[in-house]
Amino acid sequence: MDLSLLIGQAVVNGLVVGLLYLLMAVGFTLVFGVMRIVNFAHAEFYMLGAFVTFLCVTRFELPFLPSVALTFVVAVIIGWVIEWAVLKPFRHDELNGMIATIGLAMILQNGALMLFGPDPQSMPSVATGVLRMGDLLVPNSRVYVVLCSAAVLLAMWLFLRTSRTGRALRAVVQDIEIAQIQGIKAKLIYPLGFGLGVGLAAVAGGLMAPLFSVSPFIGAGPMLKAFIVVILGGLGSIPGAALASLLLGITESVAGTFLSTSTADILIFALVIGMLVVRPSGLLGRPE
Amino acid sequence: MTLLKPVALAATLLAFSSTPFAQETLKIGALVTLSGAGAAWGTGMQHAAELAADDVNAKGGLEVGGKKYKVQVIAYDDKYQANEAVTVANRLVFDDKVKYIIGPVGSAPVLAIQPITEKNQVIVMTLGFTAKALGTDKPYTFRPNVTTAEVAGPQIEWVVKTRNVKRVGALFPNDETGQQIAKDLTAAYGKVGADLAAKEFFERDRVDFVPLITRILAAKVDAIELDGNSPSTAGLITKQARELGFTGTIIRTGGPATQDIVNVAGKQAAEGLLVHTPIDPKLPSTAAYAQAYAAKYKRGMNGFSPAFYDGTHLLFEAMRKAGTVTDTAKVVAELEKIKGHKGALGESSWTGKAAYGVDHQLDAPFYVAEVKDGQEVIRARCTVSGCK
Repeated sequence: MDLSLLIGQAVVNGLVVGLLYLLMAVGFTLVFGVMRIVNFAHAEFYMLGAFVTFLCVTRFELPFLPSVALTFVVAVIIGWVIEWAVLKPFRHDELNGMIATIGLAMILQNGALMLFGPDPQSMPSVATGVLRMGDLLVPNSRVYVVLCSAAVLLAMWLFLRTSRTGRALRAVVQDIEIAQIQGIKAKLIYPLGFGLGVGLAAVAGGLMAPLFSVSPFIGAGPMLKAFIVVILGGLGSIPGAALASLLLGITESVAGTFLSTSTADILIFALVIGMLVVRPSGLLGRPE
Repeated sequence: MTLLKPVALAATLLAFSSTPFAQETLKIGALVTLSGAGAAWGTGMQHAAELAADDVNAKGGLEVGGKKYKVQVIAYDDKYQANEAVTVANRLVFDDKVKYIIGPVGSAPVLAIQPITEKNQVIVMTLGFTAKALGTDKPYTFRPNVTTAEVAGPQIEWVVKTRNVKRVGALFPNDETGQQIAKDLTAAYGKVGADLAAKEFFERDRVDFVPLITRILAAKVDAIELDGNSPSTAGLITKQARELGFTGTIIRTGGPATQDIVNVAGKQAAEGLLVHTPIDPKLPSTAAYAQAYAAKYKRGMNGFSPAFYDGTHLLFEAMRKAGTVTDTAKVVAELEKIKGHKGALGESSWTGKAAYGVDHQLDAPFYVAEVKDGQEVIRARCTVSGCK
């Protein structure tokens, strides 16, 4: 395999994982933007989404895409209920909200452990074969997942830009008090924002389930990366998260391919620390 | 807190007041990995100890020195981390006062807890693959499973000779276990004229192996070796290598994990995989254990589990012969003497003097199998001296 081919392969691999990080990060940043709490249970919603899709496909024998769509709906409802039942007292209360979500994460992870056991399980690949672009190889399963992730992100972007509810959500993210003066009902926006954030994490889990495996512990890795993306892109900035996700995915993949995966991790953290020193608000974040 | 204290005191008093009339309890610690990628191994070991305890409890308890003991297994999760292992080892040794520990799973955790267990004369039955786990300076540590050091050589020789493997790539976790296995495998492949041409190390929580497999494929290997990886990781590597179009041989010359690999990779990707297996499922004693395991836990056993079932029974046998459950020096002396133990694995004895200076390493038969439609089909029967 020659050098240019290896670089091409690494960039393509990076784009795939970058999109995964982006799906996670958009949900995470949406929850932070609306509620001003760091959702430490985000990883567990990713895991929950993977299990819901897994069950739909393997137990109920539904096709993959309807399973992912169902996962989104189930997750939004769960997120809505959890926000209303558990997190309502912690809106805009960063410290207690964080502790509440840590507790939630433990309940969800141990609940999954009791229900499904610790053994990792596999979902069949959504597509077989390899896409060849010259000598460049991309597994079709990954192409499929990339297209689905891009479609979900586009739909979310359109919803936030063009729909009345989406605009209301963005207004709450920008300034809650002014948004309320304008007649936006915060009691509906909070659970909706949390539900959508949970939904995105769950869809990420569902889409990634055929590429990786499904177990109660799968959320930690993507969550850490989503956290890095959000910091790097600028807390609350969705375009920032998009830029940071692709930057992170490609850096990780290229450095992992040419140096080592440990060096790639060091490089990523060096990048984040450097960013925080030079521009504490992140790539596209607003200075506080 | 103030309310809890009297309640706790009352509970303790009640417990003590009832002891003279109750059967004595013998606590066995299971210090194993119950979460994360190594959980499949850890639960298999915990369940092995519990099943062995059930055996003796069903007969009215373990009879040692004229007393009957009800065996109780206390399990803690070390999360496959050395620092967590130290925390739970302290809890087992000083709070629960155990004298016997099944576990830990990993090499780094066993090396981390040995200063505590050896000093307090606690007998440890570890799975840890590192050569440093056993030695004359560690008289209370035993290993009831065969490791890469015992199985890699004969299996690799068989694979290289019968499957025409010349250049091999391998992925290892970047820790004590992975480094040790990388060394063992490099030597074993070199010895029979093959080359471990590409070696990649990664952190254990990694799930995307495509960059690493890309590097390995760039080295033009004709086989990928999976030894040293957790079952789920090995499954993911298999799946992702096949997705990238790798059609060569995939081998796992150590560490039984076939069912978990098939679960994660799927039957199609795992087809033709050559695997080490320490068990012959057709052996009546192994089949009986597998059946008992499935009946109690409603799932298939991990390949390491029978070794720890045998290991726990070996401990019981040594205690009976020593006539004590508390003087572990005497129990060690009796344990070392056991030969030809008939257990779930078949007939096994202790070995290891040449490699480790002490006979604390189990010597049991092992096999090379090929995965066909998700099931192991045994292709070669092996001992330390070779495979046929």
